[in-house]
Amino acid sequence: MSPTTRKEPRRIKDMSLPSEQVAHVEPQDLVPLPPPYDKLEEQPRFKPLSDDSRAKLEASLDDTLCIGCPKPASKEEEERLIQAFISGLHKLFTKENNWTFLQPLTLSMEHCARCQTCVDDCPVYEESGKNEVYRPTYRSEILRRLYFKYVKPGLPGFQTFQNGGIELNWTLISRLLELSYRCTLCRRCAQSCPIGVDNGLITHEIRKLFSSEMGLTAKDLHEKGTVQQLAVGSSTGMIPVVVKDNIEFIDEDMTDRTGIKVETKWDVEGAEVLLLHNAGEILAWPDNPGCFALLLDAAGISWTMSSDLVGYDGVNYGLFYDDVQLARIAYRHFEIAKKLKVKKIVMGECGHESKALGVIADRVFQGIPRETAMTLMADIVFSGRIKFDPSRNDFPVTLHDPCNLARAMGVIEPQRKVLRYLAPRFREMHPHGVRNYCCGGGSGFAIMSQFNFQDWRLQINGRRKFRQILEAFQDTDLTSNDPKYVCAPCSNCKGQIRDLFDYYGAKEKSGLHYGGLVELVVNAMVDLKEPFINWEIM
Amino acid sequence: MATFERGNVKIEVDEDGFMAEPEKWNEEVALALASTENVMDMTEAHWKVANYLRNYYQQFGIAPMIRKLCKETGFSLKEIYDLYPSGPAKGACKVAGLPKPTGCV
Repeated sequence: MSPTTRKEPRRIKDMSLPSEQVAHVEPQDLVPLPPPYDKLEEQPRFKPLSDDSRAKLEASLDDTLCIGCPKPASKEEEERLIQAFISGLHKLFTKENNWTFLQPLTLSMEHCARCQTCVDDCPVYEESGKNEVYRPTYRSEILRRLYFKYVKPGLPGFQTFQNGGIELNWTLISRLLELSYRCTLCRRCAQSCPIGVDNGLITHEIRKLFSSEMGLTAKDLHEKGTVQQLAVGSSTGMIPVVVKDNIEFIDEDMTDRTGIKVETKWDVEGAEVLLLHNAGEILAWPDNPGCFALLLDAAGISWTMSSDLVGYDGVNYGLFYDDVQLARIAYRHFEIAKKLKVKKIVMGECGHESKALGVIADRVFQGIPRETAMTLMADIVFSGRIKFDPSRNDFPVTLHDPCNLARAMGVIEPQRKVLRYLAPRFREMHPHGVRNYCCGGGSGFAIMSQFNFQDWRLQINGRRKFRQILEAFQDTDLTSNDPKYVCAPCSNCKGQIRDLFDYYGAKEKSGLHYGGLVELVVNAMVDLKEPFINWEIM
Repeated sequence: MATFERGNVKIEVDEDGFMAEPEKWNEEVALALASTENVMDMTEAHWKVANYLRNYYQQFGIAPMIRKLCKETGFSLKEIYDLYPSGPAKGACKVAGLPKPTGCV
């Protein structure tokens, strides 16, 4: 593709026209990173898709693949897929089939004034060098034109004039499938819309159509995600005996390192708190569940974990692509809490878990309150029950706001209150709170690296966050590896931030480390013989 | 799913390059997969990590906690990265013939 054409406005109708590739981004299109990451030649190379992938899979959208839908084997199969798409499109707009989001979806379809205010708020669009196809309204406009053509056609003859025409064919559908996995569902665009049109929701609904009606979705979210979670108990594949063994290891490790006896409680009936972690924490960031166990005991709270299938994994990837899977998992969480007769569920440091249990599946959890770990921690820290020495956190700390906690739920202040007290060198990123930027791993991207998707999510999706982190530490020496801490109270965000730091060598180059909030709280506890954070093992 | 061929080795791999049929793993396969992970020479230290992962996987059906891997092999996380530049999950597990770790890890 010639470099002069790559940023030309892409008309919607181009999406239906067969071509090798609609969008292309060159390294020099990307927003430059600040020093010491500013030399293009030192940056990782974007691996091209293999010829084999291009030959077998639908890869005509851009430089990468997330879903990698196989090309239809015959004209008949292609026709069947098109019909399934049209059927799913109709279902999206009926109450019986879309009991969750019909109203905001319809409002977003009918009321967008095309003012494009949201466009400059999208980090993917901005960081890609403003590539047209990543514009949040571009994707929505495709669905909107299909809506006005198939679901709510106007007067014959006026249709194209009123709402813009569109040709529905397999080329368009296969590109729309991939395009629905280029947005992280961060909903910054929805935040900035003057009338509340939700382009993030539209992306979500497109994914839902593909998943429910055509079985097309990301393997990591569905087959290895929700399906595995419902079958064996966790998206990580941990069965109860493994999770208990791992937690025992964490308890012993914490006890050794802190000198305080740590013992996780299992299946305690009538406990005040059912603690529900993202199970990924146990495998990848064990200090996090270990610190929760220590802190809750120190605060005198009666708590328990559940060893029932699904009861030890708070993730609910259904949130990202399929309401039915979402409801199945949420209902399991509800049943377990009810069986244990706990007073409330506390969601560990996981953004999407908090949103799924706290907001989206609200009606499932009749009579069982849910609380995020942020408010619980703020209550504990300021309860006076535990003595702290903030000088133990004497290193630069910044805070990443997980989109699902901050923008979707409005949980902004508790984590800051804690950091302002316990991290003397805390500094904000800008912007933050409800105006934060996504880590770039949102909507499950952080766990995806198939084909060359990792290059895409780290070079384009996560670029804004990486720049923001570097900017937050501008007053420090970014060429020295003196430790700096990015507090990211969300498993998915931590995975993405870890990958960003690995990718750009930021730990070695700039001393950038990351972790959760509870680790900083425990690190400042006077009862610990010495600070607990160990930069070597992070 | 794709076929990965190197020398005498011919195996099925997923979109991330992890083995689709982990039971077909052997040392020759490990050497072939190592070459895709910028591991040019499988030293004794590399094998120690790979064999631990392999044994744990055969026992429990998933990859171990990273912290356990470090403790049991005696290597720090940094040393694991020095051995396997893509890290314990994406690099070492792949060479040890485990399927790609799943969930938010």
